[in-house]
Amino acid sequence: MNRRSFFERAAGAGLVLSAGLPQLGRRLSAAAAAPNLSRVEARYYVKLPDREVECRLCPRLCRLGDKERGYCGVRENDGGTYYTLVYGKVCSLNVDPIEKKPFFHVLPGTTALSLATAGCNVNCKFCQNWEIAQVRPEQVEAYDLAPQDAADKAVTAGCPSIAFTYTEPTVYFEYMYDTALRAKRRGLKSVVVTSGHINRDPLADLLGVVDAVKVDLKGFSEDFYSQYVRGQLKPVLETIRTVAKSKVWLEIVALIIPTLNDRPDLIRQMCRWIREEAGDRVPVHFTRFQPMYLIKNLPPTPVSTLEAARQVGLEEGLRFVYVGNVPGHEGENTFCPNCGQKVIARTGYEVEAVRLKKGKCATCGTPIPGLWA
Amino acid sequence: MGKARVVVVRSEKVWTSAGDPDPAVLARMFSRGFDLLEAGSDGRTAAAAALFRPDDRIGIKVNTIGGRAISTRPETALALAGWLSSNGFPEKNLFVWDRTTRELRGAGYIPAAGRTGVRVFGTDTDGVGYGPDLVSHRSVGSMFSKIQTELTTASISLAILKDHGMAGVTAGMKNYFGAIHNPNKYHDSNCDPYVAEVFDAPPVKSRHRLTILDALVVQFHKGPSYHARWAAKHGGLVFGRDPVAVDAVGWALIEKLRAAAGLPTLRDEGRAPGYLRTASALGLGEDDLSAIETIEETVA
Repeated sequence: MNRRSFFERAAGAGLVLSAGLPQLGRRLSAAAAAPNLSRVEARYYVKLPDREVECRLCPRLCRLGDKERGYCGVRENDGGTYYTLVYGKVCSLNVDPIEKKPFFHVLPGTTALSLATAGCNVNCKFCQNWEIAQVRPEQVEAYDLAPQDAADKAVTAGCPSIAFTYTEPTVYFEYMYDTALRAKRRGLKSVVVTSGHINRDPLADLLGVVDAVKVDLKGFSEDFYSQYVRGQLKPVLETIRTVAKSKVWLEIVALIIPTLNDRPDLIRQMCRWIREEAGDRVPVHFTRFQPMYLIKNLPPTPVSTLEAARQVGLEEGLRFVYVGNVPGHEGENTFCPNCGQKVIARTGYEVEAVRLKKGKCATCGTPIPGLWA
Repeated sequence: MGKARVVVVRSEKVWTSAGDPDPAVLARMFSRGFDLLEAGSDGRTAAAAALFRPDDRIGIKVNTIGGRAISTRPETALALAGWLSSNGFPEKNLFVWDRTTRELRGAGYIPAAGRTGVRVFGTDTDGVGYGPDLVSHRSVGSMFSKIQTELTTASISLAILKDHGMAGVTAGMKNYFGAIHNPNKYHDSNCDPYVAEVFDAPPVKSRHRLTILDALVVQFHKGPSYHARWAAKHGGLVFGRDPVAVDAVGWALIEKLRAAAGLPTLRDEGRAPGYLRTASALGLGEDDLSAIETIEETVA
C-alpha cells in the first residue's frame, strides 16, 4: 500500500509499454525537501475584496480566503492571487492502450501517453485512483514535465495521442490546455477523461484544443451524485450536451455499482437522455465496478447486470453500446449497426482486428463514427 | 453528570511592550486556567493527573495555517508545554505539531525533532506522514497523521479561535482538519457534518483530552486569514474538556466581537457553525450555552 503507484497497478500491457518512464504516483510519507509545487497563476477566477478569490473553473465556485485551497486541493489563493500548484507536476505517466481510457472509437490499437497531476474536484466513494486523485500535491511524488516535453515524449514513445486521465484533468486545466496546444503542433491528438464538472467558459476553450472527451456519467440522479460523488448531475449533463454539439469526439462511460445506480428504469432514462441530447452515435460503455476506496462492502457488478444495461441501451436506439472491465466479453467489440458484422474485435485492451475502410464498415460500407486516423 | 465547564482566562498584561505575548503572564494564565477547570482536584499535579496518565505521550495540535499573525502562537504552545512539564510530564513525551513543518516555521515555531526536549514538527517530517490505512467513518474517508495515530496517546487541541468564511468558526474541533490528508474535501455546507465527524473518528475521539483556544488575538470577521481591521487583541485563553462546549463559547465570543463592530451574526450571514449541533447530536458534547458552566477570570 505504501509505495503502490498507479504505474505499478497498471495492467500488464500498460506496464510493459511504459518501460523507461519514471515510476510515479508513489504516496509520499514525507517531504524531506520543499514540496514540488508550481506557482502559475490560475485561469478562470475573479479577485474579490479583502484578498479573497472565487474560482470559476468548475461548478463548485469555491470562494477562498488568503492561503486557502479549493475543493480540488491543487489551486490556492495566495495574497489574493489564485495559483495552480500542479502545472507541469505529473504524478502518473504511462503509455497505455487508448482502449484503457476507454476510447473505442479513437485510433484503435494505438497507445496514448497518459498523464495526470494530483487532485480532483469531486470525491467519488468508489474512486479507482484515490491515492493520486484524492490527495494534495504535497502527498504524492511528482515529476516535472513541461507541456512541450510531454508532446516530445509522446512522439518518442510512438504515441499518436496524449491522454489527460487518471485523476480529474479539469483541476490541472492550465497544464492540460497548454500541453494540448503543443501536442496539436506536433500532429498529436489530445483526449480527455473527465467527470464533466467544468464550467461553460473553460469547457469551450478546452474544446478548441482537444480531439476527444470521455465523460464519466456516474449515475442518473442528483441524489446519487450528492451522496456518492459529492458533485452534481446537472453540470455533467450540460458538459455532455456541449461536447456533443461540438466537433470534438464524445464517448460516455457509466460505471454500474450494484444496488447504488443499477436500477433498470434509471439506466433506461439515462440511455434515452443520451440518445435525445447527445445522439445515437455516441459510444456508451457500461463498466464493471470493483470494490475499492470507500465502498468495499459491495461485490463486483454481475456481468448479467452489465449485459442487461447494454441491452437497454440498444433498445433505446443507441448504436454503440459496450460492456467494460470484463475482458473477453462479446460486448467489448464494435459491431456495424447496419449489417451486424464485427468491425473492431477486442479482448481487454487488445485490438485483434479492425475491419474498417476509411471509417466505413468493410463489409457493407456503412460509416462508423469516430476518429480513425 | 454536571454541566460542561469552560474556563476563560484573560489578561490585559499578556502583551509585552514589543507587542508579543509575555511568557510569564501566559504561564500564570495556564496555571489559573487548569486550576479552575479541574476545581476540586487537590493541587496542580492532581489537576494534571485528572487529565492525563503519567506515561502519556501528549500531542499538542496547533493551527499554523494563518502564519505569524493569526495562528496558535508559539509562545502559547510553549507555555502549555511548560505547564505540563512542570507537572510531571517529561518533555520527551510532548509533541507540538501541525500538518507541515513549513507552516510551523511560518507561524514562528522552531522545529525540533530530537530525542530530548519538547518536539516540534509537522506531519510532513521525514518518516512520519499519513496513514497507512484509510479511515472510513460516517461520511468521512481520510488518512490521519501518524503523529495522531501512532506517536500520541493523549491529544490536546491547542487551536486558534477565528472566524472562517466557510465553517463560520474555526476552533478546537476543526483544528483536527489539520490531522487528515484531505481537509479540502470537507468544507462544503459550512463544514457540517464533517468537523463533527472527523472529531468523532477513532483516531481523534479516542485520544482527545482537552481543548484550549488561543484567543490572544481573535479574528472575528473575514477569516481564516488575517485582517487587522477585524482582529481583536482579546488576551484570552479558553479551556475545556468538552470539545463542543469550548467551541460554542468561542463562537459566542466571536459573535460578541462582531456585534461590537456592528457586523451581522454568522447566522445572518448564512454561515453559522452548524457542525456544533451535529457534534452535540453525536454525543461529543454540549452546544447549548445555557447548559454550559462558563467561568471567566482575569489574571494580573
